[in-house]
Amino acid sequence: MPELDPERVGAELDRLLSQQRLSRRRFLGRGAAAALAAGGLGAVLSACGIDGTAARNLAQLQREADRIHHPSVELGDWTFANWPLYIDKRVIRAFDARYGGHCRYVEEINDNNDFYGKVRQQLQQGVPIGRDIVVLTDYMAARWVRFGYVTPVDRRNVPNLDNLAPNLRSVAYDPRRQFAIPYQSGAIGLGYDITQTGGELKSVRDFFDPRWKGRVTMLADPYDCATTVLLGDGVDASRASLDQVLGAIERVSEANDAGQFRRFTGNDYTTDLTKGNVALAMAYSGDLVQLQSDNPNLRFSYPEEGAMLFTDNMLMPAKVEHPYAAETMMNYLYEPEVAAVVCAWVNYISPVEGIRPLLERSDPDIASNELIFPPDDVRRKLYTYPSFSTRQEQEMNEAMAKVTGA
Amino acid sequence: MSASDRARTWALGIWSAAALLFLFIPVFLIALFSFNDNRGRFNFTWQGFTLEHWKHPFADPDLTKALENSLLIAAITTVVAVLLGTLLAVALTRYRFRGQGAAGFFVFLPMATPEVVLGASLLAMFLVMGIDTGFWTIAIAHVMFTVSYVVVTVRARLEGMDPYIEEAAQDLGAGVWTAFWKVTLPMIAPGVVAAGVLAAAISIDDYVVTSFNAGQTQTFPLYIFGSTRQGVPPEVNVLGTMLLLAVLVLMGLNLLAQKALARRDRGRAEEPPAIPAAGPSAVTG
Amino acid sequence: MGLTLSQRRRLVPWMFAIPGLLWLILFFAIPLANQAQVSLLSGDPEAGYTLTWAFDTYTHAIADYKEQFLRSFLYAGAATAIDLVIAFPLAYFMAYKAGRWRNLMLLLVVLPFFMSYVLRTVAWQLILADNGWVVERLRDVGLVSEGGRVLATGPAVVAGIAYNFLPFMVLPLYVALERIDRRFVEAATDLYASHATAFRKVTLPLAIPGIFAGSLLVFIPACGDFINAALLGTSRQYMIGNVVQSKFLNVLDYPTAAALSFILMTVILIGIVIYSRLLGTRNLTEAAT
Repeated sequence: MPELDPERVGAELDRLLSQQRLSRRRFLGRGAAAALAAGGLGAVLSACGIDGTAARNLAQLQREADRIHHPSVELGDWTFANWPLYIDKRVIRAFDARYGGHCRYVEEINDNNDFYGKVRQQLQQGVPIGRDIVVLTDYMAARWVRFGYVTPVDRRNVPNLDNLAPNLRSVAYDPRRQFAIPYQSGAIGLGYDITQTGGELKSVRDFFDPRWKGRVTMLADPYDCATTVLLGDGVDASRASLDQVLGAIERVSEANDAGQFRRFTGNDYTTDLTKGNVALAMAYSGDLVQLQSDNPNLRFSYPEEGAMLFTDNMLMPAKVEHPYAAETMMNYLYEPEVAAVVCAWVNYISPVEGIRPLLERSDPDIASNELIFPPDDVRRKLYTYPSFSTRQEQEMNEAMAKVTGA
Repeated sequence: MSASDRARTWALGIWSAAALLFLFIPVFLIALFSFNDNRGRFNFTWQGFTLEHWKHPFADPDLTKALENSLLIAAITTVVAVLLGTLLAVALTRYRFRGQGAAGFFVFLPMATPEVVLGASLLAMFLVMGIDTGFWTIAIAHVMFTVSYVVVTVRARLEGMDPYIEEAAQDLGAGVWTAFWKVTLPMIAPGVVAAGVLAAAISIDDYVVTSFNAGQTQTFPLYIFGSTRQGVPPEVNVLGTMLLLAVLVLMGLNLLAQKALARRDRGRAEEPPAIPAAGPSAVTG
Repeated sequence: MGLTLSQRRRLVPWMFAIPGLLWLILFFAIPLANQAQVSLLSGDPEAGYTLTWAFDTYTHAIADYKEQFLRSFLYAGAATAIDLVIAFPLAYFMAYKAGRWRNLMLLLVVLPFFMSYVLRTVAWQLILADNGWVVERLRDVGLVSEGGRVLATGPAVVAGIAYNFLPFMVLPLYVALERIDRRFVEAATDLYASHATAFRKVTLPLAIPGIFAGSLLVFIPACGDFINAALLGTSRQYMIGNVVQSKFLNVLDYPTAAALSFILMTVILIGIVIYSRLLGTRNLTEAAT
């Protein structure tokens, strides 16, 4: 008996369903209704549950990536899901004007985990989620790639990707940038009030300095926190093993028990830092750009041992409905002029090369801001997130949750 | 009123004023910071007074739409939840039927469930049923978890009221709905109003359950939570303050209308009605 | 319709109850039933899950998070007590002394909700900053120790919960108090000759339904709250809501999250039963009429 190729079966099923003008979702819905009617509540319960994955494995994805072709079509109505206040909306309007169609720009991503919680069941069922671009931070992008929840990018439609900064050209979970296209980056470092610390702070060791006991906050996400601690120990965090990360978490736990840290935060350390409740916070560079304009005493340092670079990436979800539109937008955002406009508005580290000269003319403050354009010696010591399997991630998050109290 | 009565009234009044003031302290700060001339994106440090943010509060169409959605959803939620909850409360308190005790406790369960689980499980069901998440699923979810609050609030009013009045009315020939409409409802009106106010407040401020079931629709809390990463824009403070003021103005107009009506009624009728009429303004000290 | 009066009378409670109950069954009970199944699964998001009837998930959950459970009940209970003390005089004033202003006060009590949770809590964080004006004054008075702080402590979390749930106590109390016929109280004052005794013997017992309702509307949701602890507390103040949140969204441990929720619900339900027996709600109300 010939072996059934699951991909072909899936394609055949899709074709069949589309012929009957039933969408996959409605098919499930009808099935659910029938199951209910037949008293098969159990069938419904398992269908809407979390067992089973519609994942294609990474190897399949990469094969698909090599063959991917998204022909040029009319853009039409398509959806770009992003974080709030993360783009200059003039860019969207200019895009529509140039390329036609209508970009529905939805600022619905409030949190990586919240968003994942919202769409994961549709992804698991292999159903389109109605967004053509989603913007996710590295670890979540890595998870989507791992589970096969993404569509490969047809690089032919994104020639401007040549402008991608060299240190972002490859990342552990997407070595050839076939799925996750960087959008904006930021660095994790020391955010501190110089009037409280009396001088500059430069090292990861400062987080554990007893001089600031009880006046330090750390980030709650182990991807940010444990990796930074590892960098302080001289470990290449982007290639760290789970054991090394767990060891770092252990050190944080001990320091926490000794009262070194006031609390663990998301990005709500900003009030504590501004109001002087803490002397030092593990902080995101982008936040300090904003805080500094209100309070020049607040400083940001890239740790001298090296800094974690987090990147928010654009991805096309699996079963994407308007891939060509999405890729055209990605290409557009990599035009230096456009990237400069975005950078001037968002004030994060842009992944696009060659925008600094443009900003030197229009926004010299931004061009000279080291938090937005890290100097070369810092750039050499920027590290991307390590890549873990889901089980390893769970273990890491579990260990960190014990420290943060949850 | 005796002297001790007056002293008591004053003491209670001062306590009440203090309590309300306490409730409003953050509100004052939020309103104040809508005038903050912040240079960066965060709105924590006072840097100077400006009217800039008040000039174009509706400039961001997404924020405006989010607020609009929240208000509409709150309105729908209030109406539906009050309807369902009041009837349910009357059934649970006034009548005896099989499973009544269990139903009474069942009503408490949505309040006891962590919102994460509430939201995610509801989303799972919507997906199975093939319902697209968005405006209406938010409304459905909001009704679901506010009904309990309505039931409990209305029951607090119903418990201990004379249960025989409706029976008396029915014995006199009133049908079930007439008895409910003309007898029960006026008696529990303050409870229903309070429950409605509560439901609206809960709905307009909900985040977790909404975030799961919102699809691509934005609501005010969702927008604000999302914008904390970049810094909540002062326009949010402006809109919140405007909303507050709008409600207060409406309330003020309502009060004026009531006063005018009362004056007119006093002119018309010679004696007040024997039975306290519906509405809290009837029973004064 | 062809039904006799008594037949119609028997149908009435069902007609009233069914819409609400149906809504809750459809949009709450059924989704939650699925979570019951989830709590008994084993596996992980990558490999998939299987139903193994893993009841030890529940025992592990209780053992691992005993501290957070107890803390949640403690914080919620403290906040409920605080709210009762603050709300009672306020509700009393609204019911008896406020006259035509009572609707306005009703609205004022709830108006802060229209300003969004995040903004309110950030406002408190700004006001209660360690070196801010308010905390300095508290240090002067001695309520805060030298070098102590208000934020990031247990009391801050309790205060946050109390603050955010105050309207839930005020409204039911007001609603119950307003129902009490003033003539009872006047008669009692004549009888007992002391306002305090009249209050104790007449007003208070008749207000029990309001106290019952208000305390439940505060205590129950407060147990599952997570945001106050997250923003106003440290790891030593985290409640069971934080654990569920973390398990569900970060660790992706859906079975444990579901188990924790069911444990919480069960404990709360038992608590409600005990509480209602304690207050003897039904008995008192029948006696009062």
